[in-house]
Amino acid sequence: MDFPPGDFLILGCVCPLVIVTPEVSMGRYVIRRILQAIPLLLLVSIFMFALIHLMPGGPDQVIFNPHLSAAARAQMRVRFGLDDPVPIQYLKWLRNALTGDFGFSFTTNLPVLTVLGQRFPATLELFGSALIFALIFAILLGVVAGVRQRSITDYTLTTVSYFGISMPVFLFALFGQYIFAVALHWLPASGITSVGYTLAPFDAFVDGVWHLILPMMVLSILFIAAWSRYLRSTMIDVVKQDYMRTARAKGVSPLGVLMRHAMRNALIPLVTVVTLDFGSIAGGAVITETIFSWPGMGQLFYQSLEARDYPILLAMLTLSAFFVVAFNLLADILYGVLDPRIRYA
Amino acid sequence: MDVSEQLSLSSFDEEIEPFLAETSELVQKRRSQGRIIFDRFMRNYTAVGGAAFLILLFIFCFVGPYIWHVNPNTVNVLHVKETLANPSLTHPFGTDDVGRDQLARAMAGGQVSLIVGLLSMLIGIGIGTLIGALAGFYGGWIDNVLMRITDVVLAVPLYLLLFVLSAAFSDGKPQTVILIIAFFSWTYAARLIRGEFLALKEREFVMAARTIGANNFRLMFRHILPNAAGPIIVNATLLVGANIITESVLSYFGFGVQPPNASWGTMIATGDSFFDVDPWLVFIPGLLIFATVLSFNLMGDGLRDALDPYMTER
Repeated sequence: MDFPPGDFLILGCVCPLVIVTPEVSMGRYVIRRILQAIPLLLLVSIFMFALIHLMPGGPDQVIFNPHLSAAARAQMRVRFGLDDPVPIQYLKWLRNALTGDFGFSFTTNLPVLTVLGQRFPATLELFGSALIFALIFAILLGVVAGVRQRSITDYTLTTVSYFGISMPVFLFALFGQYIFAVALHWLPASGITSVGYTLAPFDAFVDGVWHLILPMMVLSILFIAAWSRYLRSTMIDVVKQDYMRTARAKGVSPLGVLMRHAMRNALIPLVTVVTLDFGSIAGGAVITETIFSWPGMGQLFYQSLEARDYPILLAMLTLSAFFVVAFNLLADILYGVLDPRIRYA
Repeated sequence: MDVSEQLSLSSFDEEIEPFLAETSELVQKRRSQGRIIFDRFMRNYTAVGGAAFLILLFIFCFVGPYIWHVNPNTVNVLHVKETLANPSLTHPFGTDDVGRDQLARAMAGGQVSLIVGLLSMLIGIGIGTLIGALAGFYGGWIDNVLMRITDVVLAVPLYLLLFVLSAAFSDGKPQTVILIIAFFSWTYAARLIRGEFLALKEREFVMAARTIGANNFRLMFRHILPNAAGPIIVNATLLVGANIITESVLSYFGFGVQPPNASWGTMIATGDSFFDVDPWLVFIPGLLIFATVLSFNLMGDGLRDALDPYMTER
């Protein structure tokens, strides 16, 4: 996801668990949260369906070939389920969607899920590598900056995170392309592989990595900015705790205190934040993928929007909402599992 | 952040009146709350720098055109040297592919970008305040309904929905772009204000106002809302920056402000095709966006520290 700075501000308060005494077992908590999520997702899907269908130039008027005969047109409308009134269409769509059938893409005529499946690996590659890369850097930067406040690392972190939240992702992408591809010729400007070559397996792998570096860096800057700052603030809290002093007094080495006592506690809230961010994978990184011609789900979304491929748009909107909600729940559960002080309310 | 941390270490009285002991008694005067906040803000140099830059930027965009008398839309394709020119004395920011002066366009585009950012923030904060206040004050089913609506908007990744809405409904006029962006910028404000209201409505001063007969409307907007002003102001400042980014993204992808109206985002979109020939077309509006948003962020963080010195380092 190329999330807007709004998310960055709110990360600090993403913790919907209320610490209230009457303790509920985790099973009941999970069930209740799932029951709450169902109407939410229904609402989202109704909202999205209505939006797509009320749009000027909605699927009803989609540019079927103007030379089609009236009979052929009617046949097309039946095929894409456009002959019913909109509420009935919604119910039919919902019934099919629940069984994993999101209809057919207008442009390729393939089942929507097949199209999404073709695009998913590329997004997973980009997202996964960016998350890992960002996690390593964010932990390094955040921990050092939290322990050594006002050090060079701390100031570097502040600068990087201000850059990260103040610059639109597409600018990072454009500047990156210009510097590393156009000016220096170090990295390929776009694409996922070199086109027109047949490479040996190892060379193909190197080629893939080569293409991955630039989009991955661009995507990870935002994550690094958000996570490292978050980790820094939890680290500052943890370092002040009494058990840190106790551990040091017992004679644990500084590194041991840091790794065994401080990190373990400071990383807990980060796990939830990372989980939340991973939930946006279904939406893909629309901006990054489009600019780097990365054939993932984000680019698919952009292309479908340009082509008015409504079944794909609808499926992606609802699926991404589903992922966001699901990972929200997962983050809350993980938080409770990792930190036993949290009570489920 | 530096100063405010020192403040939180010092004792409370000293924090309010740092030089009380050194001031002779006759001159001693207690500063007002606003004055204290202002003084605290002024001691934060990065935030003041951000604010100063914004003032310069507003002068650049809104007063600049009266000094730099070049029409941003004058096309000049007759002389090859006048198109895609590098920065020079006649064209300090260079020219684009059809010979339009980039300095004049940066001013005109800046007006659009800033106005879109500010107005969409105002509308967004307005909606957010209303929804958050109603939900937090009344609770019960009103709260439930309003918060579920908020959840629905928050559940779909922002840019996906923004792109769809803009592609469907936007006619490329700045007004439409403002409305579309505002429609997505109320959610965090609503949650924030609801939280403030939940906490504040139980306080004694609200009960006191209620006992002397203040009605709900008065309670909400005259008594509770001013006490929640701090977080709202901070959120509003940061939201302007976020909305300027959103606008530039939309415009870059062709869903935002459309020609003949220009914003910094549309300038980048035009310049993108000539990036390898003339990178200035992208660099200059890009840096302007970056510096503007950075200034809003620095100022917002400074305001946060000034309004709530005990919440620093967050």
